[in-house]
Amino acid sequence: MSTELAELHCETCDQVTEHELHYTGRLLESVRCTVCGAHLDVPARDMLGSYLADLEHRVASKPGRMVRRAGRDPLGFVLQLPAAIARQPGKFLRELRSIFRH
Amino acid sequence: MILAAGEGRRTGHHTNKVLLPLAGRRVFTWSIRWARLVPEVTRTLVLIREQDRDLVTRTIDREVGPPDIEIVIGGNSRHGSEWEALQVLAPAIEAGEIDVVAIHDAARPLAGSDMWAEVIDTAARFGGAIPANDHKHLISLDERGSPTERVVAVQTPQAFSARPLLDAYRRAQVEGFVGTDTASCIERYSATSVTCVPGDEGNIKITFPDDLFVAERLLATARWDLSGGREPTHRRSRMHLPRRSAEGDPG
Repeated sequence: MSTELAELHCETCDQVTEHELHYTGRLLESVRCTVCGAHLDVPARDMLGSYLADLEHRVASKPGRMVRRAGRDPLGFVLQLPAAIARQPGKFLRELRSIFRH
Repeated sequence: MILAAGEGRRTGHHTNKVLLPLAGRRVFTWSIRWARLVPEVTRTLVLIREQDRDLVTRTIDREVGPPDIEIVIGGNSRHGSEWEALQVLAPAIEAGEIDVVAIHDAARPLAGSDMWAEVIDTAARFGGAIPANDHKHLISLDERGSPTERVVAVQTPQAFSARPLLDAYRRAQVEGFVGTDTASCIERYSATSVTCVPGDEGNIKITFPDDLFVAERLLATARWDLSGGREPTHRRSRMHLPRRSAEGDPG
């Protein structure tokens, strides 16, 4: 799960305010206005369906992304690959946990 | 010309909204992807703010393939950013190497390749092209209080013949005119006609928080492919999933 801060237009405040955005994997899970607390999120059951569809796409597009990364920096790619593979199970577990906790 | 500099009111450590993650990429690189699938697009400039340079450079390196993208520091307004970019393009425009300049707001990641192709083609034939959608729930009143015929919402990308555009911005610079959009400047300083082409309801601008959810959903519905069939087959076959292949999709 990652977090970003960005300025977006809050309909409650009716002005551009700071928002906190929470992502699960590649998907936006929730957005909160840090000024008024207005909160938007995706219900867990919807999030799971979207997450699985997105995961399918992530897996299908992974070989292409790996080839492009290897082309840009072959040595760095080879050196970082074992650690990147080792991180994947934990990453997916954290993403799923985030969806069900949500 | 991808306008990603924002409106100059950001402070602190907030992420520029066009640099937010959206379905596996940053918002602004979706636009670049669809634009560069159009064969007529030969150069790409991204207008940014200086403080975003590192993230923009890293993102382009990771998400966008060759040819190289030119990064230009934008001005304090949309007009100012366009002027900065036109000065970079001026030698090529004067040499006749660039016929049309297309200008796009990076906060509209869902402008597909078909729309890019249509505005560029229309601008090449008529001088200027802007996508517009009817705003059916708004009524504009004329000076006598009578409803005018149509209210339209204008989108980007917008495209213009390069030479008249450059000349118009040079004259605007001399006179200190700052247009609210590109068409206002070109209409004031040139005889170029601007033609409306059909906009796309899905070509939303990221403004409100829910726009990000909608954009994510629209991309997923389109199977992350707004190329209009221009994406090379071997890449589409990786993006499109078995379920669609079984339905006869060429990918």
